[in-house]
Amino acid sequence: MTNQTIDYHGDQVSGIASSMGARGSLKERSIRYVWLITALVGIVALFFIFVFLLKDGFPIFLDIPVTEFLFGTSWNPTSVNPGYGTMPLWVGTILVTIGAILIAAPLGIASAIFISEMASYRVRSIVKPVVELLAGIPSVVYGFFGLIVLTDFLRVFFNIPSGECWLAGSILLAVMALPTIVSVAEDAINAVPKEYREGSFGLGANKWQTISKIVLPAAISGITAAIILGIGRAVGETMAVMMVTGNAAIIPDPIYNMLSPVRTLTGTLGIEIGEVAVGSTHYHALFGVALLLLLITLFINLFAIYIMNKLKSRQSGGGKTSRFFQWNLRDLWEKKTIRHILLLAVFIVMVLIFGIVISCIICAICGFLWFVDSRLNSQQKEKTAFILIIAALLVVFFALAVILYDIIINGLPAINWEFLTGSPKDLGREGGIFPAIIGTLYLVGGAIMIALPIGIGSAIYLIEYTKENLLTKIIRTGVDLLNGTPSIVFGLFGFTFLVLYLDYGVCMLAGQITLALMILPTIIRTTEEALRSVPDSLREGSLAMGATKWQTIYRVVLPPAASGILTGAILSIGRAAGETAPIMFTAVVFSQRFLPDSVFDPVMALPYHLFVLSTNVPGSTTNQYGTALVLITLVIGLYLIAIIIRNHFHKHTRW
Amino acid sequence: MNSEKKSSSGIIAAGIVAVFALIVVAACFSGCTGNSQSPAEIQTLSVSGSTTVLPIAEACGEAYMVAHKDADIQVSGGGSSAGVQAVGEGTADIGMASRDLKSSESETYPGLEQHVVAKDGIAVIVYKTNPVSGLSTEQVKAIYKGEITNWKDVGGDEMEIVLVGRDSASGTREFFYEKVMGKEDFAATQLEKNSNGAVKQTVEQTPGAIGYVSMGYLDNTIKGLKMYNIEANVANVLNGSYPVARSLNMFTNGPATGLAKEYLDFILSADGQAIVTEEGYVTVA
Repeated sequence: MTNQTIDYHGDQVSGIASSMGARGSLKERSIRYVWLITALVGIVALFFIFVFLLKDGFPIFLDIPVTEFLFGTSWNPTSVNPGYGTMPLWVGTILVTIGAILIAAPLGIASAIFISEMASYRVRSIVKPVVELLAGIPSVVYGFFGLIVLTDFLRVFFNIPSGECWLAGSILLAVMALPTIVSVAEDAINAVPKEYREGSFGLGANKWQTISKIVLPAAISGITAAIILGIGRAVGETMAVMMVTGNAAIIPDPIYNMLSPVRTLTGTLGIEIGEVAVGSTHYHALFGVALLLLLITLFINLFAIYIMNKLKSRQSGGGKTSRFFQWNLRDLWEKKTIRHILLLAVFIVMVLIFGIVISCIICAICGFLWFVDSRLNSQQKEKTAFILIIAALLVVFFALAVILYDIIINGLPAINWEFLTGSPKDLGREGGIFPAIIGTLYLVGGAIMIALPIGIGSAIYLIEYTKENLLTKIIRTGVDLLNGTPSIVFGLFGFTFLVLYLDYGVCMLAGQITLALMILPTIIRTTEEALRSVPDSLREGSLAMGATKWQTIYRVVLPPAASGILTGAILSIGRAAGETAPIMFTAVVFSQRFLPDSVFDPVMALPYHLFVLSTNVPGSTTNQYGTALVLITLVIGLYLIAIIIRNHFHKHTRW
Repeated sequence: MNSEKKSSSGIIAAGIVAVFALIVVAACFSGCTGNSQSPAEIQTLSVSGSTTVLPIAEACGEAYMVAHKDADIQVSGGGSSAGVQAVGEGTADIGMASRDLKSSESETYPGLEQHVVAKDGIAVIVYKTNPVSGLSTEQVKAIYKGEITNWKDVGGDEMEIVLVGRDSASGTREFFYEKVMGKEDFAATQLEKNSNGAVKQTVEQTPGAIGYVSMGYLDNTIKGLKMYNIEANVANVLNGSYPVARSLNMFTNGPATGLAKEYLDFILSADGQAIVTEEGYVTVA
């Protein structure tokens, strides 16, 4: 028994003969293998997703040359002379994403600075959950809000023919990417050692000088990763984008015309895949689009993971600097000639894109700002900076407030007993949404029952049974990539694999499995964090008392980690409850008389109901808002519970 | 610390209990409904496909279910192609399509049987207060080809035209593409929506918009245009004078039997056709 203490954390348990002879070792070993298998689920899922998209996407390249598919400018699959060029689509995706990041990055970084450097404990405990609530609003609700309020506002404000445009998409995506950017950037800023700040203050620098010259440069790789993850989130978003961008498959003319309608890769999938005839060239072309989307997000996420790993190795390795950003770029920047060449290059690119006049105006503004900047003394600079940061934070709060206010004010009149307990009538204009509420609970309940054991098992395997090695590295990367996979890709995978290939048909089980795969990464990550926070001394104590490894995990490690695991579970329930794209091709119907009585029946669901009402059923505004309110209450309620539990344990757990 | 730990484990327990309570409650609901309505008695009929036929299917389904307590008619949209495929693959009992079968489809699914349940005109719609009240098909075609881009060129105000159309897998778009466009391509600037309702919604809130929807979606929130001075209404489709009309179909795999047959018979009965009229479509029986 004692040798178990020795190979605690080791992955050689199975290799040591004496432990194999120990009582219960067969049980211990089988438990280990069970967890190994659960840990592999994520990787296998990712592999299957890729294979099945490839299976249905590959045939398009037999009909259409790859270059034409990638660089053709006409997407018109059902014309007499069909066009399968995806260039307007991926250009649209890139443009919408760039716009979103230009809006979200400054706001997000400013909010992160505020939360970690400026706010008092009390303020932080309010501001942070509020930003996280933005993540809790389902994307279909954003889309609904965008369609009803934002596009109309933009149309009137800019006096353009239609408000459905690139800018509308970018604004919505910016709000949706904010929570990701804020939380990752805040972690990065928090990770900067306290000594740096103390040293800076000790030299007489003021707070803003410390933040801008010491803290931010030290956190730059983490902030970069935050922005890249935000980009990943924006690229993969479907429902909100497709409801507000107009979906015209054109490249904006001129290219920076943010008021032009655009069409993204995800939007194309969202509006066309449900109607396309399976096996047609159009169908294969859409899977080609999905493949392209998956590859783009994989690349973005791998890049983010790479940077994050650099960051981690720097933190643990002490003085080792992240070469890519700290050394290369900064050294280059210090050299004057190179700086001038760079600036000139930027200017030329701007002239190429915007034309000479606008470029000059932009340069003049930059010059003016630089001039003002150089004239201010450090106190004035500090003041200006803090005002800007707080203004950014107010913008974020304002966005949240506008959305919630609009939905609550318009949604409350719809809420009554009949609405909550009745069935829809007249295409959902009348009657209630009871079957949709129950359907959502079923979907989410099933998803969590599938994902929770697998997720906890994976985390236990990763934390308790292995050292860091190639296998865990692969598993972790797989989980991260799964986390960055767009929800519409999960939906397509569920459709082609579960609904068609395994012949489940459109049913609850297909939706539950699809959702389970989607929330798996969240559960694994939060469980890992929770397990890591349990000190090793507890495990060593238990093992020294003669407990077996599994007894130690089950009796000693899991109980204190339960709150963290629970938080993760609730967060993923919230996410699953609000998702539309993964279930719209796999599990839902628009109307149904009875509640499903087996997992092979289709269900109704709140997000899909809202989507259909707001895009298919004119004259149902009251019930649209009512449904949005119920959905948002459900999801935000779950998030609040998770936040409260987390805060509670933050305060009360002391090791 | 000890008391703190105690209170925290209390919270954990409460939290876990709460989550499980949620699941149990959900499970209970299924149990309750399952008990009150023995599953053996319930007959399920799944109908899916074209959003144009959907209002008929839904309204007739509701009416049929009032009379037949043991029937569960599940209606879902998705579009004509999806409907044909669903019934062909057996994932739905009835597929709805706002067009006839394509040759490729009748090759893949030779067993499909066509039931014409209603007729429908496609109406060209504009913003409620748009002064233009009628266009010729040539003008509509020129507008959708992007050759006419301002309302003043067709007798309206000085205002840019916003093209609103359907996604490329839609039966309505296909019909419009053949009958009005003469198989010439739409301008790429057209905003694409994946349902009749979405087209109508956009036209309703965009002053410069023009769109095309099934006549069943006409109401006073938007304005239906006359084509060659002939108003888009049921009477004019019935007497054949409105130029852009088509039949709406439901498909079964092989001859309809059981609930599917009763449901289709109901739609073609006087009661069912009354619903067809009520929904704004043209009767066939």
